[in-house]
Amino acid sequence: MTDPQGGADDTGENVRGETPEPEPDADEDEVTVHDDVELERTIGLSGGLAIGIGTMIGAGIFVFPGLAAGTAGPAASLSFAIGGVVALLVALPASELATAMPRSGGGYYFVSRSMGTSYGAVVGIGLWLGLVFASAFYLVGLGHYASAVFEEVEIALTFDPVIPLGLAFGIFLTGMSIAGTENTAKIQNAVVGILLVILTLFLSYGALDSLGAFGRESVPEAYFSQGHLPVLSTAALVFTSYLGFAQVATVAGDIKQPSRNLPLAMVGSVIVVTIFYVVTIFVATSAFGAARLETLGETAMVEVAREYVGAPGAIAILVAGLLATFSSANASILSASRTVYALSRDALLPRRAGEINLRYGTPHVALLAAGGPILLLVATGQVAVLAEVASFLHLVLYALICVAVIVLRRRSPGWYEPSFQLPGYPVVPAIGALASVGLIAFMQPASIVIGLVVMVVAYGWFRYYAGSVRLKGDF
Amino acid sequence: MTDRPTVLVPIRVLEGESIPDGVPELLADAHVVLLGYHEIPEQTAANQARQQFEESAMARLETFEELLVDAGATADTHLVFTHEPQQTIDRTIYEHECLAVLVPNSTKPIDDVLVAIRGTVGLDRLVRLLTGLFATQDVNVTLFHVAGEDETDQDVETLLEGISGRLVEGGFDPSEIAIESSRDGTPQSAIIEAAEDFDVIVMGESDPSIATFVFGMRAKQVANRFLGPVLIVQRERPAEE
Repeated sequence: MTDPQGGADDTGENVRGETPEPEPDADEDEVTVHDDVELERTIGLSGGLAIGIGTMIGAGIFVFPGLAAGTAGPAASLSFAIGGVVALLVALPASELATAMPRSGGGYYFVSRSMGTSYGAVVGIGLWLGLVFASAFYLVGLGHYASAVFEEVEIALTFDPVIPLGLAFGIFLTGMSIAGTENTAKIQNAVVGILLVILTLFLSYGALDSLGAFGRESVPEAYFSQGHLPVLSTAALVFTSYLGFAQVATVAGDIKQPSRNLPLAMVGSVIVVTIFYVVTIFVATSAFGAARLETLGETAMVEVAREYVGAPGAIAILVAGLLATFSSANASILSASRTVYALSRDALLPRRAGEINLRYGTPHVALLAAGGPILLLVATGQVAVLAEVASFLHLVLYALICVAVIVLRRRSPGWYEPSFQLPGYPVVPAIGALASVGLIAFMQPASIVIGLVVMVVAYGWFRYYAGSVRLKGDF
Repeated sequence: MTDRPTVLVPIRVLEGESIPDGVPELLADAHVVLLGYHEIPEQTAANQARQQFEESAMARLETFEELLVDAGATADTHLVFTHEPQQTIDRTIYEHECLAVLVPNSTKPIDDVLVAIRGTVGLDRLVRLLTGLFATQDVNVTLFHVAGEDETDQDVETLLEGISGRLVEGGFDPSEIAIESSRDGTPQSAIIEAAEDFDVIVMGESDPSIATFVFGMRAKQVANRFLGPVLIVQRERPAEE
């Protein structure tokens, strides 16, 4: 394939005089060629799906059911379905862009190369911090599950252990990603596999039971018990459960046969998790009714499992919840560090941020740039706000991804040759963009304000630090 | 020299591995695919490692290439940053149609080569490698076979004499070829025992059967215990799907 370079050599420089790194010479199925050096692509389709599903499934199933059922009633399952449709509407354009530009950096890379450096800088910094907010949210969820373990074994604590546990896991994960060189990708794949097996067994049993197969009477309840509008605001809240598919694109440079595997991994993981989420909410609300589910909070699913299968079920879901929130947090920290690297490569952040530690071979500065702010946010313990700000920052990116596809299709530059073309152009990306922006409108005012502040600060940073940088692929 | 056998030499270029003594002379008549690779943890993007380490890795590889070329080989150098070295090595073997892979260990000047023969499979490639590397050199080659229970002494002799004949056709002096066989112990212990007096082992890739999955590739185990260079003849790779 041809090189996405506009031909202009004037790339500009940032205030430290650093210029963006040159682009690779060729992307092949197994390797990226970069002046005589080959970069091996090592993640296959199952690895890509594991990244997508592993990042997403932690939140939707193990943290949100209680919160969502409280605000939307049984119609929370519709909220999850709406979130899934929006995610799918964005996953399709993202897939098209990813096959045209299979480079690490994901959505940031697509937007900066198609819509210009200023948009790129805002969504790039927004993506980094969005992932930081998302990780913090997962870690608070992990803290809830870990403290539920203490309750399960009946150890009484004199303080609420959720935040301290979340912080401890945050420090552990950051430290592990800096100093750990063992291959955790294989473990991640196995964890996702185990999770899916546990959930499939549990949900099939629960769904059959709720439908009366085993003679249970489910709690009768009006579907829209809280009215129609909360369905949309809940969709905005739980959209955090769908942020993972674009993480596949942040490691696009490592994916084998990108033109086949990237679309399959992104679209496939969205479809898989949507089904799991909708069924989960259906089973959970049938077991207890939405009102009681709300009182059970973040770890409501443990009680749902206890209701259906007894203590072994509760323990299985407890373990699954720990694994799922842990892998979501881990995947988001790694994606955040990849994003920081992509920004430093393009001279939008100091080059030092992408530096590799000589002892461990890991990007310690970028990992700390992810792990540090995460700890601050975990300390706030605000699950709903963390989730919404994460969603806000991602939704801005998603809307621009949809716009980018339209821009590129209209301008049709020579280098733009996607091997996957999304169906239904231009309606699908247009609806995707509108739906992404639309979801933002249903968030709490506090989340919207924080999200806007992040974007304004990101733009200010760009003007100050790298205002003259022109990324290749710009027009 | 149009018929140089292609031999892959993988080197972990940034972890102090280099071309060991004696290897350039061993491969003097080969076309060497010199693969310098660096394994990076998954937290690190391959391009990130390239930015920081490309220069020093390239400089080292160029010195190595010079060593090989000075000894008489032709060389084709590749630098790869990878999360999975095994995948990189397999891909390079496939892409460059490598006849054999060298496990680079140091050796004194080569006098005696032990060739472990497993069966009739892949003999064409083995003969091509041996004639290419050693036919015009002054080395002694010993063909060694560990006989299975259902093989008669006659079978073993026919097998080894056949190979010997093909080597002579390829330019070997008949006096440089010896024949040996054994019926004791497992193939790898027999090979290692026999290898004591030799400088280089040439052997085939083992089939990935269940036993080798548990205990690791047989060829690798031999290489680990032998301490000298081992040339592992590769199976014919299937043509692209």
